[in-house]
Parts: sequence; structure tokens; C-alpha cells
Amino acid sequence: MTRFQLLFSTCLLVAVIPWGRTTAAELHERIDALLIQSDPHFVQHEAGLSSDSEFLRRVYLDFLGRIPTATEVQIFQQQTDIHKRVQTIDRLLRRPEHARHMQHVFDVTLMQRLPKKHVPVEQWQDYLYRSFQQNISWQQLTWDLLSATGAQAETRSAARFLLDRELKPELLTRAIGRVFLGRDLQCAQCHNHPTIEDYPQQHYYGLVSFFSRAYLFSDPKNKESSIGEKAEGTTKFTSVFTNEEATTFPRVLDLPVIADPPADKEPYLAKPDKNTRGIPKYSRLRQLPEAITRADNVAYRQNIANRLWYFMMGRGLVEPLDMFHEANAPTHPELLKLIADDLHQNQYDMRYFLKQLALTKAYQRSSLVKAAEEPAAPRYTAAQIKPLSAEQLAWSTMQATGLVQTTRQATLESFSAKKESDSSPVITDWISLELHLETIVNKKLQEHVNTFVTAFSQIDQPGEFNATANQALFLGNAPLISTWLLPADNNLTARLVAEPDSDKLAKELYLCVLSRLPSPEETEQVTRFLAEFSERTTTIQELVRALLCSAEFRFNH
Amino acid sequence: MKRNVGCNILDHTVSRRNFMLGATTAAGFGGLLPSTWAKDLEGNQKQILQVYLQGGVSQLESWDPKPGTELGGPFRAIPTSVPGIHISELLPHTAKMMHLLSIVRSINLKTDDHTQGRLFMEKGRNNGAYPFVGAVAAKYLNSRDPSLPGYIHISTRGIIDDTAGFLEPQYAQFKLEGVKAPENLDLPKNISKKLYLARNDLRTRLDQQFAARRRKSYIDALGSSFNQASKLMERKGIFEAEQDPKDLERYGTHDFARNCILGRTLLERGATCVKVTHHGYDSHAENFNFHLEQLGEFDKTFATLLGDLEDRGMLEHTLVMIYSEFGRTPKINHRYGRDHWGSAWSIALGGCGIQTGGVVGKTNDKGTEVSDREVHGGHLFQTYLKAIGIDPTKNHDITGRVIPIGDPAVEPVDELLT
Repeated sequence: MTRFQLLFSTCLLVAVIPWGRTTAAELHERIDALLIQSDPHFVQHEAGLSSDSEFLRRVYLDFLGRIPTATEVQIFQQQTDIHKRVQTIDRLLRRPEHARHMQHVFDVTLMQRLPKKHVPVEQWQDYLYRSFQQNISWQQLTWDLLSATGAQAETRSAARFLLDRELKPELLTRAIGRVFLGRDLQCAQCHNHPTIEDYPQQHYYGLVSFFSRAYLFSDPKNKESSIGEKAEGTTKFTSVFTNEEATTFPRVLDLPVIADPPADKEPYLAKPDKNTRGIPKYSRLRQLPEAITRADNVAYRQNIANRLWYFMMGRGLVEPLDMFHEANAPTHPELLKLIADDLHQNQYDMRYFLKQLALTKAYQRSSLVKAAEEPAAPRYTAAQIKPLSAEQLAWSTMQATGLVQTTRQATLESFSAKKESDSSPVITDWISLELHLETIVNKKLQEHVNTFVTAFSQIDQPGEFNATANQALFLGNAPLISTWLLPADNNLTARLVAEPDSDKLAKELYLCVLSRLPSPEETEQVTRFLAEFSERTTTIQELVRALLCSAEFRFNH
Repeated sequence: MKRNVGCNILDHTVSRRNFMLGATTAAGFGGLLPSTWAKDLEGNQKQILQVYLQGGVSQLESWDPKPGTELGGPFRAIPTSVPGIHISELLPHTAKMMHLLSIVRSINLKTDDHTQGRLFMEKGRNNGAYPFVGAVAAKYLNSRDPSLPGYIHISTRGIIDDTAGFLEPQYAQFKLEGVKAPENLDLPKNISKKLYLARNDLRTRLDQQFAARRRKSYIDALGSSFNQASKLMERKGIFEAEQDPKDLERYGTHDFARNCILGRTLLERGATCVKVTHHGYDSHAENFNFHLEQLGEFDKTFATLLGDLEDRGMLEHTLVMIYSEFGRTPKINHRYGRDHWGSAWSIALGGCGIQTGGVVGKTNDKGTEVSDREVHGGHLFQTYLKAIGIDPTKNHDITGRVIPIGDPAVEPVDELLT
């Protein structure tokens, strides 16, 4: 099967998944009702509904990872259908770019931009992309990541989660605790957590115990590393402060321990030696995905519900996202329970869940607050402003300047120029065309995205916003962005230079960069700026740059 | 019962945003007075030079040699300009300047992890979104040149840390890749200064319009990053100037030497904290050859820099720190390497506020344990700050929160302070 055929078949799969579920359709209403109930002053502080352009920009950034095109903004504004917001949400969630954006988001969440050790990063990212295209559930993704040993070709990409942490217990336990349980167990490594009653040392070593018999096996034939396992070994730990020694079986938090079955006479399916990857009849490691995802592990559903809530709302119900514990209570406990249980009942279907969050009034409110002062605690009476991720900023900048459009156009032209004899796939329908186009454009522009990631990866910390002088210099002066601002191929600068009417120029500029129409004052501001300088092209370039450097562009608001 | 093991309650419960917005309670510190910082420090123009030996320099091959012992390694100890103090023979030039330094030989960080060790040494806390010592200095000391970033890090590799923690982002380290001018310091081609200023002015006005009734802290942070960028563009000359051949002759021509010359220039121009990183001490194999080479580079260059600071009267107002994230195991592994070792190692301090010519703390004969005056990153952090006139028992000057600058559970190493 060629890569293209594979993509084609997955997209058919997506197309036949029934959309919208009757039982869950009301989650968004229940969320809004709970928010109002939990705050007697809610209505008094409640901001108005976002404008069409505000909503559209927000939902494009959250679901596709880029701002909308000027045409997309205009079409949306002209639509009169009262269901246009929900239709747009549905449509965006099925676009290939949505899978790409989810790939970016979960790549950072799961791997924190760790360098490559055993599995090529591109291969891993492609696995994530294909998984999100098929709307992989969080539960399935968890199983994939925690059960892949890297020994089989088809699951080798997913094995990056374990393999590229080199199977080191301290790294894996920390990552699993943070990513799947919402708990950073780092300090519980050497002692019971001094201030957090529910992070005892057993939690840390209970997780370590799943790995205690696993080891990195290097295949002598192809030198590839994978995970082998032995049939024996116990996990002992000693508190460095009390010298108390204890042992533990595998165990997730306070759930029951998973005791080993009685020892078998021949404990191995494949006995470990230099040339053989050890495979025991009973594997501790194989118990891990079940133990993490089982229904009575409430931490699992709360963690992902809180992460997806943060992803959409810009605030976690628990923050930091990996600090669930008694002394750090959720801001809205009932709401957390509601969304976590609902996500669980819906088999951890993230696309369904994101849609429900996008339908809430909480999500669709304007970010303009009623009172000027900053609220002491999140109340969701107005939308949060969220800094764009490195990838969002890169794609939005390339979108605004016209690079995405011209690259798409050039790719399309190359399709039609292809000869019959060409071995590349023949495209017969628009869905596969979109998929194919997205893949090629993504590949062509990947290098630029990487440049932004290098310059902006500091902003990956959830809940933090770091703006450095280096980043400001990059946005303001980088030759890379300057080349995108050179007039060429009907890109933004070329269109603006060709527009003699400054009102129309301001309109095009604002639609393309800020995804909205300018106010009369802003149009006036543009006109004055243009009149001040004689060299028209450079003046227009700097005008575009001013908008690209603005807070309105830098944030999702 | 809860054990006091140094993981402060704040460390585990708060992020920067919580600090800024007051979403968490800082239990236990409510009794401290709100800060009155800025006034107290008027006129304080102290500075810091940090020389960071990245990867973990071996204490046995530097500040705490154990020649002739089982694990002491092949190098001898030599006398220094301070009678009674001996350091490794790998530091002959530094030994002559020992009267300008003091050694702490009793550090126990209880971690052997690069990141955790580095953060503990920089933040004085072993966890949490606290600012680095350089960011604290940049915020509270009056800069001698506000147009330079307060905290500049000259390094040749890309470790990215959140150095400002919950402080304003303009106090985060500004990173220079060696003596190369920062990237993107030049205006885009064909853009006149006048046009650039007009663009910047338009951006500021757009942001003011956008900021009305929106979350200001984020928008202010963005604005200040552009302001700092503009100032750097004006100071382009500092970064682009050719280094004096006479300096190169004295310091050496390798990267670390060039970085130290730039560091001196930046301090002279008024940067509040300059950190110069010397990479490559993580010697899991061939520890002795590695240290011979690495310290060979460090020794003459550092001693020359220290001498220059003294000759120019800069030590009176400049704290000098030579530190790592940890030391190296006394045990020599089968590859003739020494591994990570946070539990009994050394640093050296000098310059303003420091009583020089002394040694604080001891390790046992084999160097496997601290035997006297054990200290960790928290004690040292407070010592640095006191040396430059910042009271670590005071609270940070941030809106709405009461956060002590130093961990209230520990104290500075008083015998090191003047």
C-alpha cells in the first residue's frame, strides 16, 4: 500500500464515523449551568458573546493551529444560518490540519521536545498525525504508548514514549505521572512528599515496579533498541531520610497492588540472552496500560479532562496541570467531575469532547472583560487570552503573509502538470486532494516551523508567558520574515502594493493579519502611516510587520 | 509527621501565574511585611560575575584536592597565595589569586541530576517557579546602564531555563552565543531608522488599543520585550567590537577566553549580572585528561579576568561566583571517569561582600562525605544576595503576593560575608 493509499483509506474511515451523539449533546449546557451556579456574581461580570470574527479566529487557532484566511473570515461573516458556529466547529474538526495541530500539541505534551534517542522524531510525529486523523481516543493512545516495546515495526513509532526516555525509571515515572495521572511524583522519588499528603513514596515506586524487570535490548542484527523483560526482580526502596526499607508490587497510586502470579517452572516465552529479547510468560510491564486506564483510576480521566479544558479555555481547573493533590483543589470541583466523567462515558473521544467545550458559552464569550482589573481566580466570565504556541505562531505568520496560500497554489499546479506516467497517486476526490495537499505543504514549510520552534519553545510551559528580547528581535528583524514580506506571487505585500485605495488596503491588511475588519480609526491610522513615507513597498512591509508584532496577533483572544 | 526535607510548600503548589494572580495562599508567611525594596536599594549599583563550569567540575581536581589518598587521583595539591590553603595543581594561576577568593568545601545538594542541581544552585530552592539569582539581581539592583539587559548569559550551547520564574520577563537572562552579536540585531534591509521607529510606534499604539479591558500582564510582558530589543539594537556596537589583541594575548584565543573578555566589557558597560559558561566538565570517562585540558583553559583565563577586575577596582562592587551544578564522585569508574556527585563538593566565591582568603566546611579524608558545616543551594543563594546587598529575608516585590526571596527555612553562610 502506498503512503497515499493509506492516507486515503484513513480519510474514508473518518468520513463514515457518525457525528454528534444525542446523549452527550448537552454537556456544553451543563458546563455553562454549573459555572453560573458556582458563582453568585457570575452574571454581573459576564462578558458578551464573541463577535463572529473573534470566534472564528479563536476556533481556527484552537482547532487548526492557524488563523483563518481573509476569504474564510468573509464567508463566515456573510453566512446567516443560526447554526453556522456549530457547523464550522464540525467542519474544522474533520480537516487534515486539525490532526496536524493535535500532533503538535500532543507531541509537546508527551515528549517535551526531547531529542531523538531511538525512534526518529519524524516517524513519531507521523504516527501522531495519522492517529489523530482517525480520531484516536485518549484511552487507545495511552494503550498504544504504554504497550509498544519497539520490537514490532507497526508499533515502533509509538514506542518512542518509552524508548526515547531510555526506559529510565525516574524519567518514565515522572512522565507517566504527569501526562496520564496529573501528578509530578518527582519528589516522592526519595522520600514521602513533605507537604503533599497524597504523594507518598509508594506511588513513585509502585510505578517504578512496572519497569523493574524491563531493560533496553539491542538487536545484534540491526542494532535497533527495543524493550526486553526478565521474569524476576523486585522493587525495593529506602527512604533517604528514615532508612525504612519497603518493597512494592506494581501499583497505580492507591489502587490495589498487582501481585505476580505463582512462579512458572519455565517462566519465559523467550529467554533473554545476548541475541534474544527476553519475553516472560508473565510481564509486569504489560499490566501497565490496563492499570492506568481502568475505570476506578479517577486520576486518569481527571487529568485528561483538565488538560483538554486548559487547551480550550486557557486555564486549568487544576493548575499546574501536573499538581493534582489535596492542597491544590480544583477551582470548580463539580465541573471537573462532570467533564471527567462525561469524557470517560464517551470512551475518551477527544474530538467529541473538544466540540462540546467549543460549544459552551464559556468558550464563546468575548475576551473583553467588564471590569478592567485582573480577576483573582478564574471565573470564565470572559475568554482568556492565550499566547500562541511556536507552531501556531509560525503557521499564522505564514498564513497572514500569504506563504501558505502561494505554497498551496504551487503544489496544486504541480499536480495538474503531472504526466500520466508519473508514479504519484491519481487524485479523484476533494477529501484526498485536501489530505495530499496538506501533507505536501506541511512538508515544504516544516523547516520554517522548526525555526519558530527554536526561537519560541520557551513558551511551552502551560500557564506561563515568557516574552524575551531575542524573540522580539526575531519578530521585528528576522530576514526569514523579511523574505515573506517581499512582494511576490500575489502574496499579501504584492496585493497591498497593487491596491491604490488606502481604505481597501487597510481592509485587506486587517482581514489577512488580524482576521477582522478595521475600525474607521484604524483605517485612518493606516492611511496616515502610508502618507508619512515615500517608498511605498517598504512602508507597506513595515505596516504588515507592525501588525505581526502586535499583541492582538501574538495571542489567541 | 511531615519531615522537613527542604521541599518548600510553595515549591509544589504554585506556578508563576498563581503568584501573580493570587490564586494560592502562601500559608505561613502572612506575617512578613510587604516589601519596600526599591527605596532601600537606591544607589546600590552592585554587580555579579558568574563563571559556570557546566557539567560538574571535579572538586578533587580543583578546590578540594586529596592527593595521595585512595580516590584522590593523580594530581598534586599546590600552595596558594593564602598560607595554609592548597588547591589542585591544575589551577596554578588561580592559586596565585587565592587571596581574592574563598572556598566552600561542604556542599550537599542531595541530587545527582544536572537540571535539578543547576536549578537548586541558581534558585536556592530545589523546586518551583522561582527566579535565578541573576534575575533577582537584575530586578532589585539599580542598573548602571538600563539600556542593557540586566542579566546576560554568554554560552555556546542551548540550555533553556525559565530564569525569571514569577518575576517580570524582562529580568530573564538574555542569551549571547559566544562573542557573536545577538541574532537579528540589524534592521530589515532597506528599512530606515525613521520607518522602524514609526513601525514600533504603531505597534505600541495597537497594543494600547488591544490592552484596554484585557489581561495586562501578558501584554505588558510582550511590550517590554520589544523595548529591550530596541535598546539592544542601539547598543549593537558593544557586541560587534573587535576584541583587543592585547587582551587576547593575555586571556587566550579560545572561546572561553573571548567570552570572558566580553563578560568583562559588559560588566564595565554596566550590565548587572553577567554569566559566562565554560562547557564540558561532565567527565564520565577519562576524568583526569578531561580536567587537565578543561581547567588548563579555565585557569589562566579566569585568573587574568579576576586580576583585571581587581586592577580596575571592580571587585569592590562585583560579586564573583565560580560554580557548577554538582561535583564528581570520589569513586573512579572503570573508564577512569568520575560520575555525578551532589553530596560533597565545592565552589569558590570572591569580590564584593565576601570575606576572602578563607575556606568554609570540610569533607572527610576520602572526600566521600561532608564532615563539617554542610550547606546546600538555599544557604548559598542567600549568601550571594547578602553579598550584593539584597536582604533575602525580605519579600519579592510583586503585586498581590507575599513571597520571601530566600527560603525562610535556611540562612546565609555568615562566615563568608564581610
